[in-house]
Amino acid sequence: MSRSSINRPTPGRRQFLQLAAAGGAAVVLSAAPGTAWAAPAAGRTRSYVLVVDGCRPDEITPTLTPRLAGLRAVGTNFPAARSLPVMETIPNHVMMMTGVRPDGSGVPANAIYDRAEGVVRDLDRSTDLHFPTLLDRLQERGLTTGSVLSKKYLYGIFGARASYRWEPQPLLPVTGHAPDAATMDALLAMVGGPDPDFVFTNLGDIDRVGHSDLSGTTLRAARESALADTDLQVGRFIDHLKGTGKWESSVVMVLADHSMDWSIPTNVVSVDLILQSRPELQSNVRIAQNGGADLLYWTGPDAERAAGMAAVEQLVSAHEGVLSVHKPADLRLGAEAGDLVAYCRAGWRFSDPYVASNPIPGNHGHPATEPIPFFISGGSRWWHPGRCPRSLQEPSMLHPPSAPFTGSKPRTAVTTELRGPAPCGSDLRAGQTVRRPSEER
Amino acid sequence: MNNFTRRQVLRSAVVVAAAGAAGTALTGTAGVPASAAGAGAFGHGVASGDPMPDSVLLWTRVTPSPEALPGSGLGPDVSVGWEVAADPDFRKVVARGTANTGASRDHTVKVIAGRLAPGTSYWYRFTLGQSVSPVGRTRSAPAAGAPVDRLKFGVVSCANWQAGYFSSYRHLASRGDLDAVLHLGDYLYEYGPGEYQARDVVVRPHEPAHEMTQLAHYRRRHGQYKTDTDLQALHAAAPFIVTWDDHESANDAWKGGAENHTEGAEGAWSERFSAAHQAYAEWMPVRYEPGGQIYRRLDFGSLASLSMLDLRTYRDQQAANGTDGAVSDPARTITGAAQMDWLLGNLKSAGPQWKLVGNPVMIAPVRVPSTLSTAELAGVQKLMGGTSISGVPYNVDQWDGYEADRNRVVRHLRDNAVKDTVFLTGDIHSGWACDIPADPATYPATGDSVAAELVCTSVTSDNLDDILNVPPRTGSVAVENAIKAANPHVKYLDFDSHGYSVLDVTAAGVRMDWYVLTERTAAGSGSTLSTSFNVQTTTGKVTPAQGGLA
Repeated sequence: MSRSSINRPTPGRRQFLQLAAAGGAAVVLSAAPGTAWAAPAAGRTRSYVLVVDGCRPDEITPTLTPRLAGLRAVGTNFPAARSLPVMETIPNHVMMMTGVRPDGSGVPANAIYDRAEGVVRDLDRSTDLHFPTLLDRLQERGLTTGSVLSKKYLYGIFGARASYRWEPQPLLPVTGHAPDAATMDALLAMVGGPDPDFVFTNLGDIDRVGHSDLSGTTLRAARESALADTDLQVGRFIDHLKGTGKWESSVVMVLADHSMDWSIPTNVVSVDLILQSRPELQSNVRIAQNGGADLLYWTGPDAERAAGMAAVEQLVSAHEGVLSVHKPADLRLGAEAGDLVAYCRAGWRFSDPYVASNPIPGNHGHPATEPIPFFISGGSRWWHPGRCPRSLQEPSMLHPPSAPFTGSKPRTAVTTELRGPAPCGSDLRAGQTVRRPSEER
Repeated sequence: MNNFTRRQVLRSAVVVAAAGAAGTALTGTAGVPASAAGAGAFGHGVASGDPMPDSVLLWTRVTPSPEALPGSGLGPDVSVGWEVAADPDFRKVVARGTANTGASRDHTVKVIAGRLAPGTSYWYRFTLGQSVSPVGRTRSAPAAGAPVDRLKFGVVSCANWQAGYFSSYRHLASRGDLDAVLHLGDYLYEYGPGEYQARDVVVRPHEPAHEMTQLAHYRRRHGQYKTDTDLQALHAAAPFIVTWDDHESANDAWKGGAENHTEGAEGAWSERFSAAHQAYAEWMPVRYEPGGQIYRRLDFGSLASLSMLDLRTYRDQQAANGTDGAVSDPARTITGAAQMDWLLGNLKSAGPQWKLVGNPVMIAPVRVPSTLSTAELAGVQKLMGGTSISGVPYNVDQWDGYEADRNRVVRHLRDNAVKDTVFLTGDIHSGWACDIPADPATYPATGDSVAAELVCTSVTSDNLDDILNVPPRTGSVAVENAIKAANPHVKYLDFDSHGYSVLDVTAAGVRMDWYVLTERTAAGSGSTLSTSFNVQTTTGKVTPAQGGLA
């Protein structure tokens, strides 16, 4: 494949480019100093990852989401793909771009208790991510990358890693994300402008509406409207690729970071409330609430940690809304996840530190929200049966985002567990879990 | 489950001999077919079952001497040869051996043919002296984790000899495209002539001519069924994967008794249950021996696992009716604790994509509608048992009568977001396609379903039009519509037809086709495709499909 000749990005002040977008609006992209703004030579294979945030696999239907369903129908589908712990937005996006579990990246959840700072906070800082990403590693190979992320915290953690990036705007109040229409404007501007070899895009509307959908029923129409609109935006992208002659050289990967589960107001678990009967425990435990999962941190004396957390585990496990309690190492979450991780049952949610802390009915983070859509499509012959790189015939090497570029032995792997029909007629088939012994730490 | 209580079926009946019926074996002396002479010592046919990637179970029964009749306890011990070939002409024999049998096991033979290649068709036969058995075809399962594009299974249940002919078996045997046949129970019935037949007509009388209660009775009845040429043809055409329901022992069996068992007068239930299980182990091509467990799992590469349940051996007694508080008693079980743990362990996201469950009785909740007439309610009661009170479970012999166990399964599937689970069910003599609601209370609004259930109808056993004594697709239709209206997760219901189903499994979906017989009491009955439903991957929901299988 031909490769663009660009200047390697170097640290320094960002440079900006304002591009025209649909309806006369403007899209502002940033890039590292020295990065070329002109599109590289034609004829390259381009790869796009579209994350339909929070979408359930059964929500992609020919009726409701015809463009997505159409891509899936002609593509290679992985019907048993799953999100990985903790089934939250930030860690799963990080896993997509690093190929490693949270014990390798340092990003186990959306929210953690930061022991150094003594606060519960989102992992939204570029420095929170401790592993190289595809966005910067492809640049080492002379390729260009782009990030178009609708959520502010995603923009935060991926920071300036991509060659070209869009800072989400306008951000909607409450949700803190840019609407999909604006996000798609930015993606089209980026593809129509500098045209990176690889672009990582998050479309956040489905997730954001899902969070506000009361028990998944009362605002179902709003959810369906969001699905239909996101599908429309995906359609704009496909039409753009076809209209500009790029479709035949494009690989489009569509997946979600997690799905969504809804709870009624009475189905709330508050670990802090559970521990009220044991003040000696309550005072020594900090809680990072992640919707369907609570991360529990012992802050008391080290000598009392084992006994204290054993007592906490027993108390929390006894709650009817708690599905299971795990050691973070068992879920490959790393030290940042604390001492215990509690999952709620389907139809429940955590709310900590106070019962009123999480009024949102739509949540994820627990196993009920593992299933995700995941399919590879596009006009490129790269993924077609018999044409896939050898790397995809070896599940341990699977790496859809990078395989079009590397051709073999990508150094990182896709994060989600893939089970489904094989691309390329390989031994990665329906029902098979893709294990990655070659995952890098 | 049977449609009648014992008292209901004890009525006068017109016994119609089947002599001369084309396509079906004629019973000569005590379960030995008149055609046995032509088949030498192998008058009960050959069979295979429980295919695994490297082995298949082979079965036959020999009659080495005239007195060695089923259940007789007579006849010499003999050594039977067997061989497996890669071709129907046995030019490439890949395995052979001998097996001993005798009166102690009713002269049945079961061998495991091992060292087979996965996903491969084989032919097999047996020899006894100069006698050579008919040739059977079988097929090993795909290798563990191997890619599998498609699987096809025949699906059958509820074959009452006295109610008609096993044309369904013949039609399945003629397909030639089945990986296996799933028999979901009621392979045979315990009743004597006049106790349970086709409406009031005994099409073919049972042998022995009374209810089977002892080991010799069960053996003789098994022997009689195995003389049916349609049954023999299907056994010879594809491996069976079987489980029992209640009539293999007695109606509405549970671990301590059965509706159709009178303790003392009919012996001790424990002895009767053991006798039924022993005869089943001897006469069926199944990897089960008395004292073991019949619930088991078989895998078909990366495409599907199949968990075959036993819902009779460990269950508590049925509740009195749907209003009985026992229905929701968490201490009562239909599976037993060990089988439940095993089942939930099989229903997980890792492993083969489709989690198929061979399920002897329905798991989808079904409530009695309030709009039925008295006659319709009575008919439903007769078919299903249970209650006529609207809004309560109509059949406490099903999972409906063991709500705590069903909740464990549903909650497990929901909590862990286990996708692509399909229950394949028999028992109820009717065709159903149902969602299994995540929460029945919110299902009408959300449509959320954790799994699908596909129910095959009976091969011959009576259903609603037979009970109402009306022509098919007349009086039952209103009942079907009322039940579907009261249970919106029930998408398809046919209370009248008899026949069989074909299951087509691919990564994209599972599809069941229901084929119905023209006339179950006619030996040469034709069959037609009635309807088809899909379960698309990840949805857990049934939807109508168009056309028949490719």
